[in-house]
Amino acid sequence: MVEERRILYEHLDVPDINTFDVFRQYDGYKRFEKAIAEYQPEDIAKMVMDSGLKGRGGAGFSTGLKWSFVPRDIKPCYLCCNADESEPGTFSNRYVLEKNPHLLIEGILICCYAMGIETTYVYIRGEFTLGKKMLDAAIKEAYEKGYLGKDVRGTGLNIDIYTHPGAGAYICGEETGLIESLEGKRGQPRNKPPFPAVEGVFSKPTVVQNVETLCNLPFIVGNGVEWYTKMGPTYADTRNDPPTPDPNTGTKLYCISGDVNEPGVYELDLGLTCSELIEVAGGLRGEEVKAVIPGGSSAPILTHYELDTRLDFTSLTLAKSMLGSGGIIVMNETRNIVDCLLNIMKFYAHESCGQCTPCRWGTPWVRDIVQRIADGDGRQDTITRPKFGVTESGRWGDTGETEEIYEDLDLLESVANNIANVDTMTWNTICVFGIAVSWPAVSYMRKFRPEFEAAIREGKLVTLPVAEATVPPEENYAYQQRFIPKEFADL
Amino acid sequence: MALVKLNDLEIEVEDGTNIVEAAREHGIEVPHYCYHPGLSRPANCRMCLVEPYVFFPPAGAIVPDRQLATGCTTTVRTAPPDRKLDGKYDFIVRTDSERVKKAREDVLEFLLVHHPLDCPVCDQAGECDLQDYSYRHGHDKSRYLEVKNVPPKKDLGPDVLLYSTRCVVCTRCIRFAQEVSGTGELGLINRGSHDEIDIPRSHDGKPLQLLDNKLAGNVVDICPVGALISKDFLFKSRPWFLEKANSVCTGCSVGCNITVEYKADGVYRIKPRFHEDINQHWICDDGRLGYHYINSDDRLQLPLKRVDDELTPTHWADALSVITEQLSEAEADDIVVIGSAQATNEDNYVLQQFAHDVLQTTQLGLFGHPPGEEHKFPQFTIEADKNPNAAGARTILGSANGNVVLEGDALWEKVSDAKIVYLVSGGPERPLADAEKAALENVDFLIVQDVLPSEVTQLADVVLPGTTFVEKDGTITNSTGWVQRIRKTIDPPGEARIDWEITQQLAKQLDGEMNYRFAGEIALAIAENVPGYADATHQNIGDAGIKLADS
Repeated sequence: MVEERRILYEHLDVPDINTFDVFRQYDGYKRFEKAIAEYQPEDIAKMVMDSGLKGRGGAGFSTGLKWSFVPRDIKPCYLCCNADESEPGTFSNRYVLEKNPHLLIEGILICCYAMGIETTYVYIRGEFTLGKKMLDAAIKEAYEKGYLGKDVRGTGLNIDIYTHPGAGAYICGEETGLIESLEGKRGQPRNKPPFPAVEGVFSKPTVVQNVETLCNLPFIVGNGVEWYTKMGPTYADTRNDPPTPDPNTGTKLYCISGDVNEPGVYELDLGLTCSELIEVAGGLRGEEVKAVIPGGSSAPILTHYELDTRLDFTSLTLAKSMLGSGGIIVMNETRNIVDCLLNIMKFYAHESCGQCTPCRWGTPWVRDIVQRIADGDGRQDTITRPKFGVTESGRWGDTGETEEIYEDLDLLESVANNIANVDTMTWNTICVFGIAVSWPAVSYMRKFRPEFEAAIREGKLVTLPVAEATVPPEENYAYQQRFIPKEFADL
Repeated sequence: MALVKLNDLEIEVEDGTNIVEAAREHGIEVPHYCYHPGLSRPANCRMCLVEPYVFFPPAGAIVPDRQLATGCTTTVRTAPPDRKLDGKYDFIVRTDSERVKKAREDVLEFLLVHHPLDCPVCDQAGECDLQDYSYRHGHDKSRYLEVKNVPPKKDLGPDVLLYSTRCVVCTRCIRFAQEVSGTGELGLINRGSHDEIDIPRSHDGKPLQLLDNKLAGNVVDICPVGALISKDFLFKSRPWFLEKANSVCTGCSVGCNITVEYKADGVYRIKPRFHEDINQHWICDDGRLGYHYINSDDRLQLPLKRVDDELTPTHWADALSVITEQLSEAEADDIVVIGSAQATNEDNYVLQQFAHDVLQTTQLGLFGHPPGEEHKFPQFTIEADKNPNAAGARTILGSANGNVVLEGDALWEKVSDAKIVYLVSGGPERPLADAEKAALENVDFLIVQDVLPSEVTQLADVVLPGTTFVEKDGTITNSTGWVQRIRKTIDPPGEARIDWEITQQLAKQLDGEMNYRFAGEIALAIAENVPGYADATHQNIGDAGIKLADS
């Protein structure tokens, strides 16, 4: 049985931890004081780099590497804390904000010290009224105690934090969308490059970090890199020659919801498997696992065949999915995947910012197609065609059999892939919202194709038994590889 | 300069040029909607996707980049020597690969999902980028089965209608209002597939601000589809029935480059034409909509002479003989010849030659429209001087020895003492100030050459019907010293004649030696005789204009 390892959440349940005095009793701000007393800013940046900390917001990009892109000679430089946590299935930042806001402030202070930043904006989700209230109170207290403001604790540092509530748009959680919104414009992502590290808020270099990432900093500084790297696996990245280490260090706040007995946020080392995680969350509610969404609603779904997948950045990427924000949704045998996809697509069609063409008009179209299938109006052709599948060679090809044509499934896949192609991982959109739409759409449809076919055939939603509903992974793998020449197939 | 391999071409491109422009220079079309050279580049239409090539070290080869890039935001830079591709190229890009073609097709399919496909009743049909690109790059069928969005048609301002259903949300109009006119009336409302362009409105839908700035008409030009439509041109003609001629706007002294679009029965619309130093891509609404006087039914079509205190139509021979009679009897000192800041350099040159050589008078005047309001925008200025050719007329009227060109009060003082005044006006109707009216009333014999009946013609003894800027060839000089061509497009109404021809005819009847056959010949004479105009022949000026050396 895997134990929780509480670091960020260690003192979350201590009464009044949101006040300065109680927080102080539990080492509060001492890590920041240590940072100032013992390290130069460059040392901290190096520690973060060495710790292998990856951004917890979704993309899993190395925090140290991101910091290294920020030009040191252009001032002012800004820190944006992304507290616009709105990925469906994710609710970990919210607890930090509501219960332990001083931890976030300490993380911000360390980041500001390391990067020479004087101004921080916390872009906080508009719906988090309590979180904003608690954070504002904590900031006020920190100002009073001299940890914020001019000449912080006599060190000569000037650090200010401003909170900025969002107005309820999902896309403002995308870093450049967040910046636009923060600047008072319509929340629409920017074209990249330039990346925010070079040109962000008010056209100045900007570090954009998730709440959880920043909350990791006090512990890296307080307990040292060695302590930190012991948690979580480190893989070898064989794409490079010689292979480079690919750390997935630290703990992650997994938000587990869906069909488990004890849903909630669990802080665990990175690298646990799906099944272990379900165990931790009190086990499955129901007979068997049908599917698991591993990282928020935009992540491709995992089937019951893939429950041994380790839930860390690298393993999930190799499994053609992503850890994303760590919002894990477990579905048992009673769930209908078409219905689930419809739910998710309704969300994305509603949240597309409408800036670029493929997403603006593609996303509602995908929703409409899924809606049609769910309503029982999906189209099936009267003719059949040669069935393609895994051939004897193990590759995708003509099997010699015939199959029925489900027009709407072909259309769904084609439209979703035209927004962002999940096979080649290329998108025609400005931001990755495109892939966040087509990833679930295509993966649900491919991995649970029998259920989609049944819905079209029967003219109503049909929930099949798990074994029947799921396409075996070999077949999916072969399908994904179908366009890749044989000699590159396994690269 | 960077060496770029564009498809199979090897081209030299200036640093900082984007792929759309670089390709356009070499005749390769990269379709685009949101990109406009005069505006910022949001890259939101995703139509101009191109395939850049990069060096891929593991394979040791130059391969297509994983992601397609937008041609409008991808700029060419000279690469350092060790980063050159293939040993010499700074940039390698394809605009015709299968991947690019597929991407265009896909984007076009999305663009047409909610488009009403109402080309048969759309004003833009024939000059619509959506139509053109669909034919060139798109699917031939729609796979969309659902009900289309039908956002409402909106009245945005005095001249602009928005057919929201046709809009592709490229945001060119919004960026224009923000960046060029700086007035920012337009914005996006709603989100996602319900995006709509709109002006600020109150909750009950009443407009709080109209799109009524002086540059508003440009949003119609830059709209790549039929969403923004000019009320002035609405349902008037199919664009392919219109003939086009390059000309220059005569609304003020800026001299914006325009295209006059016309049929035999008149001018249908005015569109801006790019000139880097004068008007960029834009013109103002005064110029755009100020052509209506040309098509007016009131235009002077026959010469008029005063009979029993009433202006009555007559024929040319009669009108001219009345004038020559008067002129031949008068003393040179009693005659004042007034040129027009609304007329071309050629008109004014013939006029001053007529005054100087034939009438032997050196007393010339310059008549023009009174100054109006100046409007300054972040990237555009409408000048206060409402005469297109004040600078040119002043120089040219005063070019002969001893000529004195009077303006303003000095002129009217002189006029009130004169016996005969030959006044060339032109352009749209001009009101007279009291002092001007009093001075002209004092004149014994007033000859007015104009295009429309006005307060000036009412005082005249003989009225000669002249021509507007679309009915004659010539050159005009703007306030910054650019000499530019205007061109004859339509025939003058009735028996109206080109202004310099009327003057020349008068000169001939007074035994003057003048025998110009066409405006270009006069321009040659100007080039020879007027200082600063040495290069200003029609041949040299062409469509781009030339800048006078000393200005």
